[in-house]
Amino acid sequence: MKLLIIEDDSSLREIMHRALTNEGYVVELAPTYFDACDKIAGYSYDCILLDIMLPDGNGLKLLEQIKALDKDERVIIISARDSLDDKIAGLDLGADDYLPKPFYMAELSARIKSVMRRGTGAVNKTMTAGNITLDLQSRQVTVGGNAVPLLKKEFDILLYFMQRPNHIIDKAVLAESVWGDHIDMVDNFQFVYAQIKNLRKKLIDAGASQNIKAVYGFGYKFTETD
Amino acid sequence: MKLIHRVTLRLALVIMPVLLLWATLFYFTMVFQVNDETDDSLDDYAEMIVCRVVDGEELPTPGDGSNNTYSIEQLQPTEHHYDWETYEDREVYLHWKKESEPARVLTKVFHDSDGVAYRLIVSTPTFERDDIIRALLIHIAIIYAVLLCTILAVTVAVFKISMKPFYSLLKWLDGYRPGGGLAGFPNEETVVEFRKLTQTARETIERAENHLERQKQFIGNASHELQTPLAVLGNRIEWMMDSTTLTEEQFAELSKMRQSIHRLVRLNRTLLLLSKIDNGHFLDRVDVDIVSIINSELEVYKEIFAEKELRCNVAVPQGYVVQMDEMLATTMVGNLIKNAFVHSPSKGVIEIKISQDELMVSNSGDEALDKARLFDRFYTSGKTGSTGLGLALVKSVAEYYKFGIDYRFNNSRHCFVIRLKNR
Repeated sequence: MKLLIIEDDSSLREIMHRALTNEGYVVELAPTYFDACDKIAGYSYDCILLDIMLPDGNGLKLLEQIKALDKDERVIIISARDSLDDKIAGLDLGADDYLPKPFYMAELSARIKSVMRRGTGAVNKTMTAGNITLDLQSRQVTVGGNAVPLLKKEFDILLYFMQRPNHIIDKAVLAESVWGDHIDMVDNFQFVYAQIKNLRKKLIDAGASQNIKAVYGFGYKFTETD
Repeated sequence: MKLIHRVTLRLALVIMPVLLLWATLFYFTMVFQVNDETDDSLDDYAEMIVCRVVDGEELPTPGDGSNNTYSIEQLQPTEHHYDWETYEDREVYLHWKKESEPARVLTKVFHDSDGVAYRLIVSTPTFERDDIIRALLIHIAIIYAVLLCTILAVTVAVFKISMKPFYSLLKWLDGYRPGGGLAGFPNEETVVEFRKLTQTARETIERAENHLERQKQFIGNASHELQTPLAVLGNRIEWMMDSTTLTEEQFAELSKMRQSIHRLVRLNRTLLLLSKIDNGHFLDRVDVDIVSIINSELEVYKEIFAEKELRCNVAVPQGYVVQMDEMLATTMVGNLIKNAFVHSPSKGVIEIKISQDELMVSNSGDEALDKARLFDRFYTSGKTGSTGLGLALVKSVAEYYKFGIDYRFNNSRHCFVIRLKNR
């Protein structure tokens, strides 16, 4: 799969390139509006990551161009401006997703996967890791074909981990992703432990091939069970 | 005190002594004039009597219709006398009326042809001073009232008409909200003073608007510019933790760095939100049910703070609808509830109540907080992980919608009250 990163900040561009190359994508870079115009006109990509604040032009204009070319390219807008107007404008122009800065690579890669999945049609609304399958629509979890009843938050946690396999997930980051802004000012993550403990037990009991592993006590990692 | 009231009061105060002074002057002038006339006629009358006495003619009989009285008394040659005339006011007894009346009295001495000296006392009834003064006072009072009313009416009318530009400017300034621009600003006036005032006001507002715009841009830009480096930093640390071999110590360090960056990200986001609220970027007003927000927020916080074993007493109606932006409503209610959960001691009691258009959230506590600084940005009670922006956010939202917000400490409970209706 071929990606194009349109981002003016060289450091961010570099780590995005590194992370996504590691994930197995073919990644091309465009540091300026001008370069981006060139690449979009000349080549095809599966997914374009578009920073809409470029020094020499507005990314939304680029988006218009991409859509005008009528190619089947997915676009994820990356913006430092976490503004609703930008988001609405971007999605109206045909962007597939909107990711406000700052974001984590794991988050970006999860969004790319999700957007690409949508791209291949509505058939694939499930996620699979080992013998665990998540149905994103009905929020059903099956392990080896057997349904495992999970609570709402347990499902959210499992989904978050499955989108980021083999990443070490900080408990604070996990908590914020699942509980949102509610966990500002919370210094005790006992509630995360409790949820994960239950989730792990359910997965073990169901005989799952992957599970959540505690790492050094700093966070968790979703890996195959030993 | 309104300007028109002040002007009225001052006019009333100034007119009073002027009128009194005028009345006094008028009274004395009038008395002088009347006395002058009376004295002239008394003179004539005395002259007539003197002539008749000297000529030996018949003297007028008292009560002949003129109301004048006279008496002639022959002076003893030895009696000492002055040769001049004196005028005075005196009560005189009138025989035919059988009563005393105020009168003007002329006393003069004359000699007949034989050289015999006589003292002649002539009197003519005159006005009663008390009556005059009373009448004068009554009329002064009437004039004062009439004059005051007229002056007031004229003043008010003139005031209203000529001060119109002033009041329209005042009205505009009253409705002005920072960032609102110059829409509807009163037109330039022809009167020099008003034109200057309008110009100055316009310039000041323009300057303030410029400042605000620049400040807005600055806060926005600063926060936005921080987003990319924050993303870079976070992701580089993430990459080190994921993809390189580290000692446990290094990993711990990186983990702490990541937490600090996380905190920075949150802080930055909250600052952006605060600046957006302060700049009135939330113009949405939809019907928002506060009760359903309370319930969903409460559910989340009960879960997050389960370990504290807090008890929640909730007394809210079935629904309570307020017109505001939904996200801001959630921010306001959520932060209040979060504040209660965070700062309540273990096994404490949290109370949430809506009654008489007041939302009250309270939690157990030890001592009162500094009310003056409680809602300030970055004021914290020393709780770790606190941004010090939660209550500042609540206050900003409340003020944006003109809700009253209050803090009380009683019965060992911190009590936050928001008056939800802005009537």
